[in-house]
Amino acid sequence: MTDIAAPEVQTESFVGRSRFPIHIVVFLAPALVIYTLFSIYPLFDTIRLSLYAGDETGARHFVGLGNFYTLLSDPAWSGQFWNALRNNLIFFAIHMVVQNGIGLGLAMLLSLPRLTGGSVYRTLLFLPTMLSVVIIGFIWQLMLNPLWGIAESLLAVVGLKQFFGPWLGQESTALLTVSLISVWQFVGIPMMLIYAALINIPDDLLDAATVDGAGPFSVFWFVRLPLILPTLGVVSILTFVANFNAFDLIYAIKGALAGPNFSTDILGTFFYRTFFGYQLQVGSPTMGATVATAMLVVILIGVLIYLFGVQRRLQRHTF
Amino acid sequence: MSVNVRPSRIAVHIALILYAMLAVGPIVLILINAFKTRRAIFADPLGFPDARTFTTIGFDRVFANSDFGLYFLNSLTVTVVSLGLIVLIGAMAAWALTEYRFRGNTILSLYLAIGIMVPIRLGSVSILRMMVELDLVNTLTALILVYVAQGLPLAILILGEFIQQIPKDLRDAARCDGVSEYRIFGSIILPLIRPAIATVAVFTMVPIWNDLWFPLILAPGGGKQTVTLGVQQFIGQYVTDWNAVLASLTLAIAPVLVLYLLFSRYLVRGLTAGAVK
Amino acid sequence: MAEVSLHGIAKSFGATEILRDIDLSVEDGEFVVFVGPSGCGKSTLLRIIAGLETVSAGEIRIGGRRVNEMQPAERKIAMVFQSYALYPHMSVYKNMAFGLKFAKTNKAEVDRRVRQAADALKLSALLDRKPRELSGGQRQRVAIGRAIVREPSVFLFDEPLSNLDAALRVNTRLEIAKLHRDLGATMIYVTHDQVEAMTLASKIVVLNQGRIEQVGAPLELYRRPRNLFVAGFIGSPRMNFIKGQVRSATEKDAVIAFAGSEAVIEGDPGRLKSGDDVTIGFRPEHMASAGPGATVLEGRVDAVEHLGEASLVYMTLPTGEDLIVRASGEDPVKSGDRFAAHVPVSALHVFDEAGQSVRIRNEGL
Repeated sequence: MTDIAAPEVQTESFVGRSRFPIHIVVFLAPALVIYTLFSIYPLFDTIRLSLYAGDETGARHFVGLGNFYTLLSDPAWSGQFWNALRNNLIFFAIHMVVQNGIGLGLAMLLSLPRLTGGSVYRTLLFLPTMLSVVIIGFIWQLMLNPLWGIAESLLAVVGLKQFFGPWLGQESTALLTVSLISVWQFVGIPMMLIYAALINIPDDLLDAATVDGAGPFSVFWFVRLPLILPTLGVVSILTFVANFNAFDLIYAIKGALAGPNFSTDILGTFFYRTFFGYQLQVGSPTMGATVATAMLVVILIGVLIYLFGVQRRLQRHTF
Repeated sequence: MSVNVRPSRIAVHIALILYAMLAVGPIVLILINAFKTRRAIFADPLGFPDARTFTTIGFDRVFANSDFGLYFLNSLTVTVVSLGLIVLIGAMAAWALTEYRFRGNTILSLYLAIGIMVPIRLGSVSILRMMVELDLVNTLTALILVYVAQGLPLAILILGEFIQQIPKDLRDAARCDGVSEYRIFGSIILPLIRPAIATVAVFTMVPIWNDLWFPLILAPGGGKQTVTLGVQQFIGQYVTDWNAVLASLTLAIAPVLVLYLLFSRYLVRGLTAGAVK
Repeated sequence: MAEVSLHGIAKSFGATEILRDIDLSVEDGEFVVFVGPSGCGKSTLLRIIAGLETVSAGEIRIGGRRVNEMQPAERKIAMVFQSYALYPHMSVYKNMAFGLKFAKTNKAEVDRRVRQAADALKLSALLDRKPRELSGGQRQRVAIGRAIVREPSVFLFDEPLSNLDAALRVNTRLEIAKLHRDLGATMIYVTHDQVEAMTLASKIVVLNQGRIEQVGAPLELYRRPRNLFVAGFIGSPRMNFIKGQVRSATEKDAVIAFAGSEAVIEGDPGRLKSGDDVTIGFRPEHMASAGPGATVLEGRVDAVEHLGEASLVYMTLPTGEDLIVRASGEDPVKSGDRFAAHVPVSALHVFDEAGQSVRIRNEGL
């Protein structure tokens, strides 16, 4: 901050300039201090901490990348880590396909010209996104509870009763079910972002395509889709960061153990268990920091792929 | 385009109505069953409560066995104070970064942008350590500090883009009148960015109100629980008491629902406005 | 090549009536301009012909075929949009070739047509550029090129010049006129600028509040406006209007009093009878500072605008009515002066209480 306070010529006529350095310090300081102290410093401190190990006495010593070695190769850790990472990737893949697919579809419908009741639909469809993940988790836990039988009787109405099962309780279906609950809640976000991008395309452009002989499908494929690709890129990276940072839903539905048999365990829950411990295992701040750093690396890889691999190729269009 | 469009329009509405039912149905189901007797909840889950099945026993139990009002107040305090600080501090920083050219401007903007992509949650180990040292565990202050740090980057980005659209002449006219930079910010810029606050609010308020992670880590007890955490703890305890569970969920949903339906127009507009860029 | 005819076209959005009772026929090869103030329905009418809007009533025929039920692409039309509506993600070449893709034109033919149009519009060097890399005038030409390659029977232009600066506008106007000469296609052109309408059109359609006010050749509208609206809309600066009253009317002539003087108007006074209130109109350019055999209107000069070859004199009559006079550029008149404007009787237009023209014997102006 000192370099900006370099003395400038003090002149009466240039009041704004002469007091310039002090202003910007005053304007920027609160944000920079809070942001640095409670966001950036903890992130770096976490990375630093991941290079240390604690013993029973509480003393810490530097171990370099030893914790990462343990995490990736020690059977007591690596099995859980790879399991959580794999589940997280599946969790992400389901969101990309189902959540963003449905979001795109709904946005297409909502952006139809002169759609009656458009704002009512938008309000209703976005409603679940506004509620707490925890609440949503409990709601669906009740809905899918065989004791209550709501889901079963609703399926019976459409003749699919035989497909009902304790989806949240079975190892084979639990992850998919949890993912779909999350999709159900957050479909509003891609829907809104894509909707905003779609209505931003001038009507003239779509009219021109119609005059050019493009049918509804061609208008979508050749005109609208290419024009909203940058938004789809943003939606993808937002989904990625949110998914690899997810925790609340699985903790609310399945607890820290992410059962059955860790089949719904993702990096967020794995991080929580490592940090705070569970059942007989004691929590370890340094191993927790190691897991957090590993998550950071995963997220950074995703962000970098987006920034350098995707975003640069997607030209933003101004109309 | 509007040639022969009628039949397909009906299909569009059917699709939207079905999805809207899927989106809202589960929430409605929770709300209506919260007011029914245990027997009615199981015998006729889809029915509305009537004179025979109506009861508020669940709510009575929630209020008797938990500090729901207190949790609500905690959530409200944390959310409102955080939002206020984010908007004020964020607007100051956004103003400095967009208005003044100075060395380090770009680097500072990039530095602030880190927080948009990297979730602050990953620093939880150190955050908890700091809060223990500062003796802030189980205080709302801890939550507010973290949420402000979390919300600032996006708020600065949104407010910065908005401030850029304010005509430069306005500030220059004020400067010609000899108004100080602080006054320009306070009496010209702040009032003018009011519309952008709606957008900032959508992006920061909702995640704060709904968060489970930081309340769970930083303020899990001592009467400082937020609604989200309080409901989570309550349901963990009373998991077999369906009336109480449904009532607690309803209590958690209701305020958000009312606020959302009241302000949804602004919220949705803020969301789309923020996304258009 | 095709003629376009509209019969009883009406259009409403909900309760708002945009167009009513539109009957119009456009001959093959004609250049027709729809002109009118904003909100008069001219763009909607163009979009109805294009097939981008449906009609509430009436029939549209292009080349003798009823096209009401046809998609835009089947109507053999091409449209140039006000915003150009170029696809921002496609090169100039692809923008122009896009429509041909759906017409199942073979590749060699597409290439031939695009290159030919690009040649004609001086776009050959720009074919690989994206629209954002082009200037406004170049974009405009791409938009026209995109229409040309489709080889339509009817070209539709929706205010195509309104986004260009003044110099480019004149240039492009000439280019469009040349294009019409070269292609000989039917063209329908929408604008709110009456100068564009006068210079381009072989036939002007003046629209106001969803109705056709008058259809005719540019000079015909200028000389014989059928009503107050057309009289005021065509011509710049606009026609002066002052109140008058019929003193007497016979079969051959009428005496009309206005602004403290009287004029004998020959010809068929038609519906006029003694005592009727009328509006007298005369164009600023048909008045002179002095001259024989004319009504003299005296007033005070409020302001003078010097255009060089002429000066516009803004004056107020003792009755409080305002006038604009186009005087010679040599005239030494200045603000505050008394000024006498001479209005030749042959330059007078008379409009009855309903605003309809009652005297159309002023040829020769």
